[in-house]
Amino acid sequence: MSINKNTILCYRSYCLNVSQSFRRCGSNLRSEIGGKFGTSVQSYFVFLKWLLMFNVFSFLVNFGFITIPQLVYDFSPNVPNTTSFRGLEILTGAGYFNYTVMYYGSYSNETLEGAVDYKMQLGYFFTIAVYMVLCGIALIFSMASSFKANYVLADTTSGGAWQLLCSWDFSMTNERAVRQRKNNLRVHFTQINKTHLNGLFSLHEAETLLVPFMVSLMNMVVPLFFSLFNKFEHYSSQRRQIYVLVARNVLLRMCILGVLCYYWMNVVATEYSCWESVVGQALYRLVFVDFIFLLLGSFFGEFLSNVVGTRLLPRLGIPEFDVARNVLEIIYAQTLAWIGIYFSPLLPAIQILKFFILFYIKKVSLMQNCQPPRRTGRAAQMKTIFTALLFFPFFLGALAIVGYTAWSLTPSKHCGPFRGLDSTFSVVEVWMVQLNSTGGSEVVIFVYQNVIRSEIFYFLITIIILVIVYIFWQVSQGRKQLIVLLRQQIVNEGKDKSFLLEKLQNLQKSQPNIRSKNHKKVGIPSLLAMLARQQAQNEYDDGY
Amino acid sequence: MGNKQTTFTDEQLEAFQDCTFFTRKEIQRLHGRYRELAPHLVPLDYTNNPDIRIPLALIVTMPELKENPFRDRIVETFSEDGQGNLSFNDFVDMFSVLCEASPRELKTIYAFKIYDYNRDNFICKEDLQQTVVKLTKGELTAEEVTLVCEKAMEEADLDGDQKLAFADFENMISKAPDFLSNFHIRI
Repeated sequence: MSINKNTILCYRSYCLNVSQSFRRCGSNLRSEIGGKFGTSVQSYFVFLKWLLMFNVFSFLVNFGFITIPQLVYDFSPNVPNTTSFRGLEILTGAGYFNYTVMYYGSYSNETLEGAVDYKMQLGYFFTIAVYMVLCGIALIFSMASSFKANYVLADTTSGGAWQLLCSWDFSMTNERAVRQRKNNLRVHFTQINKTHLNGLFSLHEAETLLVPFMVSLMNMVVPLFFSLFNKFEHYSSQRRQIYVLVARNVLLRMCILGVLCYYWMNVVATEYSCWESVVGQALYRLVFVDFIFLLLGSFFGEFLSNVVGTRLLPRLGIPEFDVARNVLEIIYAQTLAWIGIYFSPLLPAIQILKFFILFYIKKVSLMQNCQPPRRTGRAAQMKTIFTALLFFPFFLGALAIVGYTAWSLTPSKHCGPFRGLDSTFSVVEVWMVQLNSTGGSEVVIFVYQNVIRSEIFYFLITIIILVIVYIFWQVSQGRKQLIVLLRQQIVNEGKDKSFLLEKLQNLQKSQPNIRSKNHKKVGIPSLLAMLARQQAQNEYDDGY
Repeated sequence: MGNKQTTFTDEQLEAFQDCTFFTRKEIQRLHGRYRELAPHLVPLDYTNNPDIRIPLALIVTMPELKENPFRDRIVETFSEDGQGNLSFNDFVDMFSVLCEASPRELKTIYAFKIYDYNRDNFICKEDLQQTVVKLTKGELTAEEVTLVCEKAMEEADLDGDQKLAFADFENMISKAPDFLSNFHIRI
């Protein structure tokens, strides 16, 4: 008995120690980065960690609900004898990997017998669908909560002079960082290194790497042109300049992704036999090459800039950590992973590795090479902006692509869990028919027939939501007007106060013997009330 | 459990936990930091509440405060005598208000006290000027400082009495959401 109690106590104290050390590790990280570089750089690393959590959850869900049943059912991949594992698959994603559970094509479409009858089709469909919905909800909640916490009344009086008083970052402790806060030089790096493919590749395999290479190259070079144009253009405010730059970068990446998706949906889907796996491989290559370019970008953008800035051209100075560009890069990387989940269920594993390595590389590069950004403001609003950027163009875009694929495109006939069906979504129809015929759960059938399939339901829901949005909008407009009125009232009260104080002084001057000998202090409010009553009395008398 | 010297009684630790945003371990760690500043002055055993105060000059040598332009004002605000001599209670209070868990209202109250240099419960133009000078460390000329202060006063002063009462200050702080994350010292 006593041994058990001791073990429990030991275990509990061990868990406490572990969790405390994790907390201290996290807080050490934050105090290291936040203390030296300020809260806006810290928000980048916090954001990266948050996105990593999405991928960990996705990997666990996909692996648990899709891959493990497939592995239990059929452990060995059906690899034809001609292909074997050569290390190059890590770069191209094709070859040996094509036949493993990495891609859509290797999943069966049957009901897997075992301890439980597991319908692979439904499992695949609902796992992906539920994950996307949960992601969407998590993003919406995060956006709403950070917006609520950081909501600023859009007001002309929140000007620049006052921001000065609120902008000092009390948690900065590094002397160099504090001094360099006023440093306002930046280094633009314009050289790009090209990777050479060595002759071990066949030409066809080298060609498949060309598209991701060009995509990443464009993503790296074109923003530099945008920054260049930005210098020559005139803007009314600094904030507008940054917004335009960010908007251009976002549009660039969305256009590139749009073109790629158009190609995959319209050309690849009709030409290849197991087209989902092909798209999955293309996405794998994009993710991988993007990772290589991120590392190279960190090397050249930060390390070499530092060397150039300190040794060769001291005029340029130490490079800054460009938070906006880095955040956009990881948002883009996450979008690729979101699009790829449907075609390659184990892509989140690659993404986890990528973000993990990127976190530590960026942290080391930051400590060694960079100085804090000179514009230290607006860190709280940045989190809202990052999440909004993540959600609106990128997540919704990825959701639209996956939705379009599931709804309109014909799954390939010879591979994957949806082979033989007209569209992925018809999996649910088939299931409903089965439930109907075997007399299954009536609630589910009822919900499906009358709620999901009926148009009236969506029409009613849309009307109700529009009405609610309109009501809330009117309420907030009314409150804005109330705020204006109340502010005017405060100004008027101030004027009244000074007017009455003046009157009081005049009164005291004209009747000095009212003051008592022991200088009893009369409360100002009661005096004001007395004067106001006298004033009102005078007006009343005048009126008559 | 070994030869552990008790710094605080259980009731003292309970009281600290109730009045501040720190846990017991953090309080003991803070005591370690407090003692580091003046080991000959601060006893290890606090069970009988000794009345020890560490002077301002030693407190501002702490790495968390060393680089902060407002360090003198912060320490003065939290000291009972107004001269910057902190007892351990004041020390813990200071870091408790400045920690992450502390609510916005509390931080606003103390920020107002910190910026109010002449302690007349109003932030007047001279207070603003001193703040601006401290933040920019002599990079602005006197006219620029005056201009900035006038503009800030214009923006914030609602009732036109040329000084900021706590309500004005609170109103302006509510429009700057960064304030909560910036006004925080990690220990």
